[in-house]
This record gives sequence, structure tokens and C-alpha cells, in this order.
Amino acid sequence: MTTATRPPATSGASRVEVRTTARRRPAPGVIALYTVAALAALLWLVPLAWAIATSIKPEGETTAMPPTWFTANPTFEAYLNVLGRGDIVRWTANSLISTTLVTVLTLIVCVLAAYGFSRFDFRGRPWLFALIIGGILIPPQTLIVPQFVLMTQLGLVDTYWGIALPQVVAPVFVFILKRFFDAIPRDYEDAARMDGAGPVRVLWSVVLPLSRPILTAVGIFTFIGAWNNFLWPFLVTTAPEMMTLPVGLGTVMGGYGIQYAQVMASAVLGAVPLLVVFLLFQRHIVTGVAGAGIKG
Amino acid sequence: MRDATPHPPPRSGPVGPDRRSFLGLAAAGLVAAGCAPPDTLLSARTPIHQWNLFAGGDGMRMIEMHEAYRAEHPGTDLSATTFEWGEPFYTKVAMGAAGGRGADIATVHVSRLESLAPGRLLDPIDPAELAEAGIDSSVFLPNVWEQCFFEGQLYAIPLDTHVLVQFHNLDVCRQAGLLDADDRLVPLEGLDTYLDALREIRAVTGAYGLSLDTWGPWSNFWALYRQQDGELLFGEDDYEWDEDKAMAAMEVLYRLSEEGLAPRVSQGADTSANLANGRAGLMIHGNWEMATLNAAGTPFSASQFPNLFGNHRTRGDSHCYVLPHRRDRSPARTRAALEYAAWMLRHSLTWAEGAGHIPAYRPVVESPEYDALHPQAEYREAAENVQFEPKAWFSGSAGRLQDEATGPLTGLHQGTQTPDEALEQLKRTFRTLIDVPSPV
Amino acid sequence: MTHSTTDSTRTVTGGAGDASHVVVDVRRRPTTWTGLWFVLPFLAFYLLFLVWPAIVGLGYSFTDRSLAGGPVSLVGLDNWNESLTDPALYDSLWNTLVFTLLSVPIMVLLALGLALLTDHARRLGWFLRLSFFAPFVLPVAVMALIWEWMYNPSLGLFNGVLGQIGLEGSQWLFSEDTAMFSVVIATAWWQVGFNYLLYLAAMQSIPKDVYEAASIDGAGAWQRVGRITLPMLSRTTVLITVLQLIGSLRVFEQVYLMTGGGPNFATRTIIQYIYDSGFVGLRIGLASSMAYIFMALVVVVSIAQFRFFAQKED
Repeated sequence: MTTATRPPATSGASRVEVRTTARRRPAPGVIALYTVAALAALLWLVPLAWAIATSIKPEGETTAMPPTWFTANPTFEAYLNVLGRGDIVRWTANSLISTTLVTVLTLIVCVLAAYGFSRFDFRGRPWLFALIIGGILIPPQTLIVPQFVLMTQLGLVDTYWGIALPQVVAPVFVFILKRFFDAIPRDYEDAARMDGAGPVRVLWSVVLPLSRPILTAVGIFTFIGAWNNFLWPFLVTTAPEMMTLPVGLGTVMGGYGIQYAQVMASAVLGAVPLLVVFLLFQRHIVTGVAGAGIKG
Repeated sequence: MRDATPHPPPRSGPVGPDRRSFLGLAAAGLVAAGCAPPDTLLSARTPIHQWNLFAGGDGMRMIEMHEAYRAEHPGTDLSATTFEWGEPFYTKVAMGAAGGRGADIATVHVSRLESLAPGRLLDPIDPAELAEAGIDSSVFLPNVWEQCFFEGQLYAIPLDTHVLVQFHNLDVCRQAGLLDADDRLVPLEGLDTYLDALREIRAVTGAYGLSLDTWGPWSNFWALYRQQDGELLFGEDDYEWDEDKAMAAMEVLYRLSEEGLAPRVSQGADTSANLANGRAGLMIHGNWEMATLNAAGTPFSASQFPNLFGNHRTRGDSHCYVLPHRRDRSPARTRAALEYAAWMLRHSLTWAEGAGHIPAYRPVVESPEYDALHPQAEYREAAENVQFEPKAWFSGSAGRLQDEATGPLTGLHQGTQTPDEALEQLKRTFRTLIDVPSPV
Repeated sequence: MTHSTTDSTRTVTGGAGDASHVVVDVRRRPTTWTGLWFVLPFLAFYLLFLVWPAIVGLGYSFTDRSLAGGPVSLVGLDNWNESLTDPALYDSLWNTLVFTLLSVPIMVLLALGLALLTDHARRLGWFLRLSFFAPFVLPVAVMALIWEWMYNPSLGLFNGVLGQIGLEGSQWLFSEDTAMFSVVIATAWWQVGFNYLLYLAAMQSIPKDVYEAASIDGAGAWQRVGRITLPMLSRTTVLITVLQLIGSLRVFEQVYLMTGGGPNFATRTIIQYIYDSGFVGLRIGLASSMAYIFMALVVVVSIAQFRFFAQKED
């Protein structure tokens, strides 16, 4: 949590420091270290590289043995075929819609609850807080059966609400946010209150602006978590036109046997949205994870 | 915790845009979430959501047929989805029906009807409405049509009958002297004759006589058991069958592998590969394997399941259309779905071409075009000899019975158990299944 | 930063409500209902989608309720008896345990190793972070498709490369002996990035003067790692191990997608068995009893862990 608020300059400063140390002693050990590090990183990229390499081969070349990394006839045919079927576009849109719903609702209800627990005393408060925090212990996977039955009763199977609503329950974020709010001095709020602002207004115009780092971290993690969530959307969507990206890729078949270039093209396409998010928000994500030590 | 005190936000932080974009997404999301799926909004065409499990060679034919259908029906918007064959597909159908917003129409095995809780997970089909689409009982063989009813109500429209047939590799069988002038297999009636022929074939191939799927032995067992008129009835808490006939069927499976006339282990793609590469001259397998053999370029033909006990009865099933339950079934969409099914039936010659399924729609099977299909026309009588699986919720294609009987029966091929032992094990399997409370 | 790691670990171990002393101050309003209004939206979600299913699920476990609908009747403890005497349930628990015992050490040690590399090879920092963390943001289905393709026994990259250097390939996902381990390797590639970043953050928060002091005392690079870095990371290690253990016990999706629980159920995890019983087999009642058995196990393990590590911390 602290990390989330830490000015990013720190890591840059320490990097400079090491640089000078390294310059002072260009030992063979350092060279070896860099070689190992670079090799490890390249090895880590092999699966993605292989997926891309396969996806741009003509279908006939994908099954050649021994495997080759580079094709003489690169083609985007597999991508065009996959995109032409339209499923993957639809699934991406579904993921975007349901994930946005989850993220927005989670931020709203968790911020409100955390603020309520942080700033107000009310009857049953400790008891309620304990009840909610106790929810962290319960693996949501064990509730899939009654949750699905509930969705059939509410008529929410194969709807965006059905995908999103049960994912909004995130006690851990209430906990994280409450700790953050607890650490914000009251003085700012008192000043606003003197000016006649109500509690919601104080939260909105004083507390939230001070909480941007943690809100960003919670938002990004909710987004990634919901985007990549598999089990619940897998259960609650049966109609292909309502499936999210991970579910669609995992359950719907092309329908004509296996064509590896196309399978890998769809995998690559399925990877792109969050990889882009990751590249855009890399710093927030990295500091966010560091702060997520609190995630219990 | 002091150091956790947030610093006043910097004026020009990168956080600004994300919050705004989150809000933008939120607005888009909330608007979209309230809506029905766009395809019902944006077009006046009647949508038909069709689900199937055809991922193999027949899947390609299904896509072809669907394209033809779309071309002829600009007023409907057909979207077809293929799920992984077997349990993943049936689970989606059941869950979709429980949720009430799944498929308009789905293709299932008629043997799975009971496991899909007709009346609750499946909606009944109105025969009058079907007749309006041009389909009634007169176009089907009675044995298949009967399977489509549950407690007197119609729930299914059969598209095909698919059965175990016998393929023969022309080169190998010619060398073994088992072909007539038309490349048909000479009649091989009775177990002893059949085994002799397999021995002759083995002399040619140097490996096996017969290729069969030793990991899906239930179907073969069922065909052999039914050739002897064996009955299997599952009741509430007991079952009835004929142990002697079951023994006789098991003996056959056992002897085939024990004598080396068939492989001890043959799984998945191995079975067809053995016929294609000439390691066996005959193969007992589903008619759908035709697609694989065509792809392999094997010179082959086919005939009915071999007559070992006095007839050509064979294990089979039927792909049929059903209406999964919908909470708001609209008459227009139901009508469109039934008309779609009727169209597919009338055009099921394509269905027969690729994967060798026998169309259930008799006018197609009796047409001169079908006569010209080779080797499909060689085994069309199999539709009359088809033996459906016993009635029970755990029975049928990709059902639990098939699955759990594999253990006891596959050991016969592997030589790890005698027919006596397999019989006892199979009885225990039946008992276990009966003891499971029925979920439907 | 060091403090933050400490704090967060405490947080995990300390449980609920311990933070309240920080905020008890004179300016808090007297007891009103205002706070409850703030809490209410979350509470509504919580009660409807977590508490209520937890309660009715327990109820279902005493009935023969079916996903297919139809009349429901009470069957007493039948489902519980069936679950508790079902060898397949214990097999699936065992598979889950095997996955956990294989994956936890790998994902902790691998994360530590990669973080150490990154911490020392700082000029490659962004590239290493990108490589090691990027797989974490992939949807599970993408990861599964890619690894299934690489593991393909006859056409895949691994057996192809092994064949080229004259080694015999493996059946990977298609053999009962290797399937679970193959899934663990793919999981490590996919998910290690999170632990890695936790370690990296902890390492980078170790004050530089500590290292400098050690260097002046003549400690080499290895000694600095052994004497300073690793001991100062012990709390992070505890935290990561706890999180990983709980996470691994809940494994389902990558195994389901890559093997479907096969071959011959050798990789079926308990979550999949609950799914198989409730959704494939339609038996809501039976699956509910299984879910409760598993929930009880997880809660016991979690509490035991927290207590164990809480004691160690003190």
C-alpha cells in the first residue's frame, strides 16, 4: 500500500546508483549476470513468440516437423479468417462491457463502504466489518452452484448483469481502501465540512482526489481480474454471443477440425487487449502489485 | 503507517486520463448492459441461434449446409456454434436451458433425450407446427421416430441415423480374395466364417485382420449383444439382462484381440490409421470415419456391421434437433427454427456425402442421388437395423454408461481380464449407476 | 518500504478490525446512521451474492435438487454420505494437493530467482519486468491454447526441439504421469509474474546504505545476497507463500482447459469435481455438499496458516 503512494522517482534514483557501481567494477560476473538475465527473459518470451510465429504461417506449414521459427511465406490469412468469423470481436466487446461494469460498480460500492467504515461510527459497525472481512476467507469457487441457481432464478443467465454482479463482491478492496482512508488526516475534510459540504460531497471532492493512487491500483486490478476471470463467466454464459473473451476462446470450436495457425491467431488476438493495457499502465500495475501485499 | 499518508495529488499526474476513460467505459458499459444482445435490436431478421457438437468432418458439411441455408433465407439470421463434442456440449445445453436464454434449436443425440429432462430443459415440439414446416411422421423410419418421444410428447426431429459400419480396405481385401467383382465384400455370415476371413486378411497384412476402437468397446458390445436379441432394462433400483448373451458378446471381443486378429490397444486416430495404412483389412467403426479415410486417400468401401449372430444389427444413434428451454420462447423464432430444421432435413444429402450419416428423411435416402453415393448406399439398410441404447438417464452417446463401461470391456482387448471377470465388473458398473439418484 | 511489507504481513495475520485504533479520534461523529448508508450498497451485494448463496447452498446439500428442475425433496445426509465415501472426491482432493505442493515451491523460488536477476541486472530492468510479468495479464484461455500447442506430442514445439537434439519427446498433457506437472510448468510461466513483482518491490526497498556498508566491510555480491537480501525478504516470502498456497488450492481453470481433468481423471481438481457433479451431472445437492467439504478445508488451512505465521512473526 505504501508503495502505491511512493513517488516513482525512488526506483529511478537507485538505478542510477547501481549504474555507477557497475561502471566502477565491470567484472566478468556482471557480464555473466546480464547474459543469464537476458536469456531468461528471452526464454520467457518463447511461448508468445511461438504463438505469433505459428499464426503467420500458411496453414499447411504449421504442422511441419521439425518445427521452424520462420516461414518463407508469412501471411495474415489466419487473422483475417478469425476476424472474419466475428466471434472474437463480439467476445472482446462483451469482455469490455462486463469488465467495465464490474470495475465501476466495485469502485463505487467498495469506496463507499470503506469510507463508511473509516469515518463513521454506527451500531453494529465492528460486527459488520468482521462479517465482511471474514468473506475474504471463503473461496468464491465454492459458491458456484448456489450462485448459478440464483442467476437462473433472477433470470440473469446469459446477461451482462449476470456476469458482472457476483464479481462486485470484493471484501479485500474494502479492507485496502479503508486502511488508506484511515491514514488520511481529517483536517481537509473538516475544512470542507465547515463550508457546509455533506458527507458524500466531502468524499467526492476531498477524499477521492487524495486517493487517486489507490483508486487507480484497485481499478486496474479489478479490471485485469474481471477481464481474465474464467470460472464465473464460463458458468453464467452459455450463449456464444454473450461469452467473454476467455470463455469464448476456451469453449467454442472453429467447427472444422483444428487449424493451428487460426488457433494461434485467435490466441494472439485474445492476448492483445490486456497487453496493451499493461504497456500503457505498466508503472501503475507494477506499483499496484507491490502495494497488493495487502491482498489477503 | 505515517509514510502511508498520501501526498497531495500532483497536478499533472497520469491518473487523470484513466479515471476519465474508466468513466467513459462505464457509461458505454451501463448503456450496453441494459440492452438485449445487439443482434436482436439492429436487424429485423429473425435470429436463430443453433448449437451443435460437430467438430469433425461432419462439421465441415454442416457449415456448408448452413451457408446454403443463409443464402436462401435472407429473412433469418442464423448463427451456429460448435462446442466441444460430448459432455462440454451437453453441459452447455443443460445450463443454457436452465438459464432460459440459450439456443433456439440444438443438435443432440436422440439417445441423450432422457438425460436432458424433456419438459424442463427441453421444450416440446408441436407436431402441428412441424407439419406446417412440411415434416411429419411419414418421412421417417418408425424406429427412429419412436425415439423422439418422451412420455407421449414429441421433443426431437431426427436429422440422421449414424451407426457402426464395417469398412474394408480394397487393396488388402482383394489380395485376401474377399472381394466380388463389384469390390463388395463377399458375404461372411456367422462368427466362425468371420474369424476365418480375418485370419486370411492377417496373412496378407502381417499385422491384424480387423481394426476397431478398443477404447470405445461399449458400442461394439451393444451391437453384438443386440444381434442375439439381448435385452437390457434399467428399472428404479434394479436391472434385467441376459448374462449368457452378454458373455457370448464379450467372448467375441476377447477372442479378437487374444488371437491377434485385432489390436490389443487402439485409441482415437489409431483405429482408422490401421485400416488406411494396411495393417488391417476390415474396420468396425462409425460411419463418420469415412471423412478421415477419404482424407487419407485410402481405397475403401463399406458395408453393414458384420453378421455374427444371424443378422446385421448394429449400434447406432441419431442426431436430432431439439428445442432447449427458453424463458421467453417467441412463436416467431420457434417457427423459424422449425422451418430451418425442416430445410436441413430436405437438404441432408450433403450431410450424407461427407461423413456418411444416413439421412433420417426418407425421401433423400430413396432418391437416385443417394443411390449414386458410394459407399453410403451400401449400408443404407443399417438404418433399419440400428439398435438404440437402453433407456436410462445415464445412457447414450457420451453418457455415463458408455464411459463407465469402457473400463470393464477394454480389458477384454488388452487381455487383462477374461469375459467372466469383465461380466462381473460390468454388473458392478450397472449397479453403481442405478444407485446414483437420477437427476432428471 | 520495508515497513510496508511488514505492515501488510501483519495485516494479513492480524485479521479484522485492528486498524481501528488509528482512526479513533475526537472528531468522529457520535453514532449515527450515516455510515450505514455508505456501507449499504456493498452490503447488499455481499448479502445477495455471497451470504445468501452460502446459506441456500448449505440447504441444497440436504436435498436432491437438480439443475434440470423438477420436484425437490429432502434427503437428509445422503449427499454428505455419498460425498464423504466417494473415492473420486478424495482423488480430486489429492490432485489438488499435488498441484499445490508442486506449484507453491516452484512459483516462490522461481519468483525469487527472477527478481534477484532483475534487481542486479538493472540496466535490463524494463525488459525483464516486461518479459516476466507480461504472461500474467494473458487470459487463461490464451495461455492454455498456446501451451497445448507447444505440448502437442506429435506436432508441438517441445517434442520437435527434443527430437532435433536426439531426445525422445514426452506425452506431456496426454500421460497420467506427466500431465499435472506439465500444467504446473505452464502455470508457473503464466502466473509467476505477480510473486516476482512482490519480491522485486521488496528488494528495491532495502535501503542502499545497508549494501554499501556491507561492501565496505568486504562482502562480495553473493554474500550480500545471502546475508542481507534474503533475510530481509523473509516476511515477503512468508506472504507470498501464504497467498500462493491459498491460490493453488483453488486451481481449476488452466487444468480444466488444458486436460479437462484427464487423462483418466488424473488431473481433475476438486473445483472441477464440484463442477462435474453439479453442472455436468446436474446434481445440485450433491455438488453443494462437496463444495462445503472443500470450503471447510480451505478455511481451516487458511486459519491454520495465519495462526502459524502469526506466531512465527511474534
